[in-house]
Order: sequence, then C-alpha cells, then structure tokens
Amino acid sequence: MDKYQAVIDFLIQCPVIAENPLFFNFLDAKDNNKQIITQSNETSLNKKFIDGSVMKRFTFTIVDFRSVIYQPIPKVEGYTNENVEEIIDVQSIMDWVNAQADIENYPDFGNDCKIDSMRTTSENPNLNGVDTQITPALAKYSMSIQIDYIDTSKAIWK
Amino acid sequence: MAATTTIKQINLNPGQRAERKLLVTVAEWQEPTLDGSTTGIETVRELLGTRTEDSSIEYNPDIQESTDILGNNYTDVNKTQPSQAFDPFLILGGSRLGAFLNDIRRRNALSELQQFTIYVITAFVGSEEDGYETEKHTDCSITYDSIGGDANVNFPITVHFSNKITTGSVDKIAANFEFTPDTTI
Repeated sequence: MDKYQAVIDFLIQCPVIAENPLFFNFLDAKDNNKQIITQSNETSLNKKFIDGSVMKRFTFTIVDFRSVIYQPIPKVEGYTNENVEEIIDVQSIMDWVNAQADIENYPDFGNDCKIDSMRTTSENPNLNGVDTQITPALAKYSMSIQIDYIDTSKAIWK
Repeated sequence: MAATTTIKQINLNPGQRAERKLLVTVAEWQEPTLDGSTTGIETVRELLGTRTEDSSIEYNPDIQESTDILGNNYTDVNKTQPSQAFDPFLILGGSRLGAFLNDIRRRNALSELQQFTIYVITAFVGSEEDGYETEKHTDCSITYDSIGGDANVNFPITVHFSNKITTGSVDKIAANFEFTPDTTI
C-alpha cells in the first residue's frame, strides 16, 4: 500500500478535513483549505532489529489556512474571539488524530508494515504567519504528525 | 576428534558480510491448545528477538591456563555455559512465549522454565534446497530477568543452553520448519 495514499485515505475520515478542500503538496492559500506536505525522514534514525525488521518513521505536515480578523479582544471574561474559535477548530484536527491513535485506528500501510505509534509532534498547532495583504487576512497554521511503523518486508521469519 | 564430514561453506559472496538476521534463535515448547480443550497439547515455536536490536550467544567458557617450564602456554576449555539475553523482550500482542512466561512468573512455577527446546539456525550456511544448518538444544531454560520499563512493558529474558545438541538442518525459516538431524556415516 502506498503510504501517501494511505495517509490521504486516513485523513479524509476527519470531519474537519472531510468538509473542506484538501490538497497534497500544492499550495492554495484560501480560507479553510487544508494541505498535506510530505517531509523527508532520516534513514539513519531507522532501528534495525535482529530479525531483519526495521522501525521506520513517516512524517508529514498538515497546513490549515484560516481567515483572521482585526478584532481586539474585549476585556470581558468568557468573551469569544473569532480567531480563537478558528484555532480551536484547527486544534480539533490534532485531537482527532490523537484520538485515532488511542483506539489504534491507523492509516493502512499494507501487510508488510505494522504501525507502532502515531502522534502529533506538538500539543497545539503552530502559527506560521498571517498574510494581511489579502482579503480576508489569512493565518497559516501547521501541525506535524509522526507515524512509527515496523517494516517487516525483509524480516527473515515468515 | 575432528569432524569427519565436509564442512559446509558460508553461502555468501567472498567478502560479503552476513546480516544479523541470518543467525536465528527459535524457542519451542509445549502448552495447552488455545481452542479451550482441556486435553489438547500443542507444540509452539516462536522466533526470539522481535524488537531486539542487539543480542549475542555468550559462550562463557571455563578456561584453565597453564605454562610449562619452557614457557609454552596451554589453554584448556573445561566447559561452556552458553546463554543469550534478549533485552528488550517486549510484551507484545500475539506473543505466545510472552504469555507462557508471564503465566509461569505469576505462579512462580520456576521448574517450568526448564522445558524449552532451542534451535539456533545459521542461515548463512546452507540453502532452501539443502536446508539451513541448525543446532537443536534440548532441555534448555529461559529465565525472565525483570518486568517493567518506561513506555512499554519490557520483560527481558535469557536463554540458557543445555549443550544437549543435535546438529541438523531445517528446510525453511518459518514456524512450521522441519528439523532433520544429520546422519552419521
């Protein structure tokens, strides 16, 4: 199973992603657009086991564009700000990924790969920047996800 | 006495290193079948070393050295007590050896640790057609050294070889291999 397609098939189960346009390695900075960006993974970090299987890591980043507004926060306790609501919605993607890990619902990497763990690399989304030159202004959030899996394709024991 | 049969050669290209996976240690034991029957006993085999990055058979030779009046050294090997540690040996879903040893551990049934047959398959000698050279060690013990760890439950074990060896070969590197003892001519 192709791991990129497996990740796409997995992520489209996430409600926030399912309801919005999703791109793969293509930038289209519009409100609510999501993008999967692949990352390289150092093979030197692979762990080789004595049976020939190898622990490998697959990392990718999800970018989420959200409109932001110029709105000072009123000094009223509990008053919600639209920008805060947006990041909470972005956060829900991370929460969904971690919830799937808890119930061991992982992308299908095929018969020769057994996923060991899946986690977001941070607790909350990273704000990469805000573009105020366009209307509406767009905030670019990102979150990285690491999947550790055991590749048994070269294991000696069948 | 020297070996009387031709020594089989390593099945690699000249200078090629043998991958670690070509030295395989397999545990075999008997336990009740999983189908719930009260009388059924089955033989189970499990590869040792899943999720283990480094493990070696330590021979622990008992050596006696002496020097004669001419200055010549003599080394006698009285015995070897081979053992092989597997650390980590993680508690993994589907591992019947993990379940078997954990059952012994919770009952403290130490005498049951001495019932293993261990196969050491040297897959760098032989072939699928002719079989891979194997040593079968009967009446071996597997001891658990600790249980615990950090993120995952680690249950490191040590195999203690009996030196009751039958040499032979196996036809494949899989749980259903067939062991054929060497024939003496």
